[in-house]
Amino acid sequence: MSAQLAEPPVARGTAPRRRTRPGGTDRVNWWLTALLLVLALTIAIPLYFAVVTALKTTDQLGGTGFGLPTHVQWSNFADAWRLTDFPRTALNSAIITVGAVVLTLLTNSMVAYAIARNMSRKLFKGLYYYFVSALFVPFPIIMLPVAKETALLHLDNRLGLVLLYVVYGLAFNIFIFTAYIQSIPSELEEAAAMDGASTWGIFWRVIFPLLAPMNATVGILTCLWAWNDFLLPLVILSDPGSATLPLVQYVFQSQFQTNYPAAFASYLMAMAPLLLVYVFAQRWVISGVTRGAVK
Amino acid sequence: MLVASLLAGCSGGDGRTVITFFQFKPEAQQYFQDLARQFERANPGIRVVVDNPADPETALRTRLVKNDVPDVMTLNANGTFGEFASAKIFRDFSSDPVLDHVNPAYLKVIGALGSGGKGEVNGVPFAANASGLLYNEDLFAKYHVAVPRTFDELIAAAEKFKKAGITPFYGMLADAWTAQSPLAPLSSQLQPGDFFQQRFADRTTFAQGWRSTASELAQLYRYTQPDPLSKGYEDGTAAFAKGQSAMLLLGSYAVPQIRASKPKFTIGSMALPATNDPARTTLVSGVDVVITAARHGAHQREVSRFIDFLMQPKVMTAYCKAQVAIPTLQGLRNDDPALKGVQGYINAGKIVGFTDHQFIAAIPLAPLLQTFLLSGNESRFLSDLDSDWDKVAQRRTWGLGAVTS
Amino acid sequence: MTATNLPASDADVTTTIPDAKAGRRRSATRLPRTFYLMVLPALVLFIVFHTVPVIQGVYYSFTDSPGYGPSNLVGFRNYIALFTDPRVLHAYWFTFLIAGVATILVNIVSLAIAVGLNAKIKFKTTLRGVYFIPNVLAILVVGYIFNYLFSNSLPALGSKLGIDFLSTSLLTKASTAWIAIVILAVWQSAAFNIIIYIAGLQTVPQDIYEAAAIDGASPWRRFRDITFPMIAGFFTINMVLSLKGFLQIFDHIVALTGGGPGTDTESVALLIYKGGFQGGEYGYQSANAVVFFIVIVVFSIVQLRFLQRREMSI
Repeated sequence: MSAQLAEPPVARGTAPRRRTRPGGTDRVNWWLTALLLVLALTIAIPLYFAVVTALKTTDQLGGTGFGLPTHVQWSNFADAWRLTDFPRTALNSAIITVGAVVLTLLTNSMVAYAIARNMSRKLFKGLYYYFVSALFVPFPIIMLPVAKETALLHLDNRLGLVLLYVVYGLAFNIFIFTAYIQSIPSELEEAAAMDGASTWGIFWRVIFPLLAPMNATVGILTCLWAWNDFLLPLVILSDPGSATLPLVQYVFQSQFQTNYPAAFASYLMAMAPLLLVYVFAQRWVISGVTRGAVK
Repeated sequence: MLVASLLAGCSGGDGRTVITFFQFKPEAQQYFQDLARQFERANPGIRVVVDNPADPETALRTRLVKNDVPDVMTLNANGTFGEFASAKIFRDFSSDPVLDHVNPAYLKVIGALGSGGKGEVNGVPFAANASGLLYNEDLFAKYHVAVPRTFDELIAAAEKFKKAGITPFYGMLADAWTAQSPLAPLSSQLQPGDFFQQRFADRTTFAQGWRSTASELAQLYRYTQPDPLSKGYEDGTAAFAKGQSAMLLLGSYAVPQIRASKPKFTIGSMALPATNDPARTTLVSGVDVVITAARHGAHQREVSRFIDFLMQPKVMTAYCKAQVAIPTLQGLRNDDPALKGVQGYINAGKIVGFTDHQFIAAIPLAPLLQTFLLSGNESRFLSDLDSDWDKVAQRRTWGLGAVTS
Repeated sequence: MTATNLPASDADVTTTIPDAKAGRRRSATRLPRTFYLMVLPALVLFIVFHTVPVIQGVYYSFTDSPGYGPSNLVGFRNYIALFTDPRVLHAYWFTFLIAGVATILVNIVSLAIAVGLNAKIKFKTTLRGVYFIPNVLAILVVGYIFNYLFSNSLPALGSKLGIDFLSTSLLTKASTAWIAIVILAVWQSAAFNIIIYIAGLQTVPQDIYEAAAIDGASPWRRFRDITFPMIAGFFTINMVLSLKGFLQIFDHIVALTGGGPGTDTESVALLIYKGGFQGGEYGYQSANAVVFFIVIVVFSIVQLRFLQRREMSI
C-alpha cells in the first residue's frame, strides 16, 4: 500500500481552508502549465507503449517499439481473454474487491471511532498502538502460518481472503480514521446523546456520514490493494476456480510462455476495469482523497 | 455465492469422486486439461480438477503447509522434487505395476534426487528431455560446419560462425537458469564420478572438482551476442528461430517454443562434448515430467486409475510428440528430427541426470552463474559456490546428502 | 504534527498519537458497553489472523522448518547464521540504498509537482487526475511494461542516438539496475504523495503570501520560509510512510530484475520470499523476517523523532 494520511486540523474553526485568491496574482501561469503537461507525458508514455505493443504481431516487435502497429492484431486480446479465462477471473477479483471494500468501510471506521473517543483510557490507547504496530510487520513472516490457519478454518477461499483484507487493513485505517475522528467536535454527539440516541445510533447516524471523505480515501486504497494484490491470493486460495487476475497474469509472465503482445493485452485488460472506474470517478476520487487528507 | 463456494467440499455435489490434479507445466496446460476431460468421459464416477498455479513451487509448498497435498501431481524432477520426496510427501510406487515397463535409467535418475526411504520410488517418470545443444542445420550446411564431436571442434565451429558474422550461441542470461543448461553436461563429463557424494561428505570442493567445468563454460559464453544479460529465454528462442544464431545452449524442451516462431530450417540436436575424446561424451537427460501422488491421499484407487490412464503408451506418445520429449516407456520412441542427433545416446543408455539437481534450492546457483558469466571471474565463482554450499549445509539439518542415501 | 497546518498554534507534535483532548471530557462518565462491542470482533479477528501467525512465525525462526512437516528447535542458530551470510547482509544494504534514495526522490518530485498543480495553471483538474493514474495500476503489471522498456526500447533508442550509456539495458548491470528500480518506484508512488501534498498546500492561507509578496520575497524564499514550514506535518508523514513502504520493496524488483544480475538487486523482502519459499529455508528466513521487523521499527522511530524535532524548530 502506498503512503497516505489523514490530517486533522486542530484548532477548529480558526483554520482557513481555502482562501479567495488575493488580487493581482490572478493570471494563469502558462509556462508552468506547459511544464506540467510535458511532465505528464512520463505517465502517458508507458501506457501508450503498452497499447501499441498489445496491438502488434510478434514480428512487428523490435526497435524502440514506439511505432504504431503496421497491422493491428486484435486477436491478441482474444487470446488473452481466453488464456486468462477473463470473465471468471475478473469476476473473482471483483467479488473479492467489493467484499473487502464494503466490509472494511463498515467495520474499520467503527473500531476507529471507539478508539478515538476513548483515547484517554489505557485500554483503548493500548489497542490503538497494538493495531497500528502491525503496519511494521513484514508480510512474509505471517504468510505461511496464515495460509495454514485459513485452511484449518476452511477459509482458504474468497470469503477468507475478504476477511484478511479487512483485518490487515485495520492497522493503517485505524491510524487515519482515528486522527480524523478526533478532529470532529464532540458537541454533535453530546447533543444527539441528549436527545436519547445510543452510542450505536450516534455512530451510524452522526459520525459515519461525517466520515464520507475519509471513507472515500480508505475505500479507494482498499480497492486498489485488493484488486492488485498478488501474494495473499497466491497463498490463500486453494481452489483454482477462484483465481484472481494478478494470479493468471503471472502464469503469462512465467518462463516458457511469454508472447509479448498477448501478455501486454492481458496487462491492459487487467488494468482496464480499475482505470475505467477511475476515469469516470476521477474528480470524485481526487477530491475525496484530498479532503480525506485534510478534512 | 461466497458461502456456496465455502461449503463446496470434497465431493463434487453430483456424487462423483473429485481428485485434484496439480499441473506445473504452463505450456502443457491445455494438453493436460484435455486429457483430464477424456479421462472423465471414460470414468464417469471421477471428476478431475486441474490446477495450473502461478509459481508452482511456492503454490505446492503452500499446499503442503496447509496439509492439502494434491491427489495427483506432475512435477519437474529436480532438487525440489527430491526434497519433497525425502520429506515423505509422495507415494511409494516401487511395487506398483505401473513402473513395470518404465526405462530403469529414468528410475535411477529420479531416485538419485532423494526418496522417502530406502528402495522407494516416489514418482512415475512420464517424459524425459535431452539437454545438449540445438543447432540450425541450414547454417551448418551453408558454412560447411560438421557436427562437432569434441570440445575443441565445438569451439572451432563457434569461431567459424563468429568470423562469418553469425552469433554462435545466443546468450539468454536475463533468465539465469538458462546457464544451467550447458553447465549440466559440462560438469557431468568433467567432474570426478563420485563428486557429489564427496561434496556432501565434505571431502572435496567445487574449487577442486569444477575448475575445468567453469573455464569451459566461460569459453562458450565468449561466443554470445553482446549484452547477453538483457535477453531472456523467449528472446533467445525467437532469435534462433529467425536464424540469428547458429546454436542454442538448450535442451529438447526448448524445441516447441522455437517452433512457435516458425523457423524455416530443421532444428538439429547433439550432446554437448566437454572433452576431446568423443567416447566420453554423455547425454544429460532428466525427467522433465514426473507423475506422482499424495502419500496419504483419500482416493488412492481413483488416483491409480488416472495415473494408469496417463501412462498408456498412446497418451505418452502423443504428449511426447507434441512437446518434443522422450518417452520413458521401454519400446517407445520419438522420431522428431530435433531428437535425431541424441537418439544414439538414448539407445545406448549413455545417459546421466542433471548435476544441478543435486543443489539444495537454497543455494543460489543460477544467480552465481549469471554473475560469473558476466565477470568471468572463475576462482570467485568456485569459492562462492563452496561457501554458499557450506553455509546452507551448516544451517540445514535435513534433506542433505540425498545422493548418498 | 497535527498542529503544523496552522500558522500559530500551541504545537502539539505527537505525530502518531492523536491528542487525548477529545476523550478527556468523557472519562468521568461510565463508558457505554457499546464501545467494547465495537472493538471486540475486530480485536478477536486481528488476534486470530495477525498476532497468532506472527507468534507462529517467530516460533519458526527458532526451528529448521521448511514450512511443512516436522521440525527441530535450533535455538539462536538461524540468527547467528544471518549475520555471517553475505547474501543477507547485501540484501539489507541494497534495501537501505533503494529505500533511502526512493524516499527522498519521491518526496522531492511529488512536492514539486504538487506546488505546480496548486498554482494558477490551466487544466488543473485534468492534470491532477492524470498525475494520480500510476497509483491505480498494479506495480507488478506496470513493472513488466517498464521491464520491456528498459531492456528493449531504451537500448534501441540509446544506440540510435549514439548514447553509449543507454545502449545496453540498465537492468543488466548491478551498477545501473538499482536506478531502474528507483525510477519505477518514483513513477508509481509519487502519485499518491502528490495528492497528499496538494491537500497540505490547500491548508496554507493565501493572505500570508500577500504579506510576503509585498516584502518582495522570491518564490523560492516564499516556499522555504512560509509554505514548507506550514506543510511540515505532511512532509513528516509522507517521509515516514514512504520509507516504511520502500523498506519492504518487493513487487518492483520481482517485475524488473528478479533480484539479478546474480543476487545484486535482492531486497530483504524478496530474499525472504525466495529463500524461504523457493529455497525451502523457511525457518532461517523467518529469523530474517524477525530481524527485518525490528529494523523497520527502529528506522521509523528514529526518522519520526528526527523529523519532529525539525518540525518544531521551523
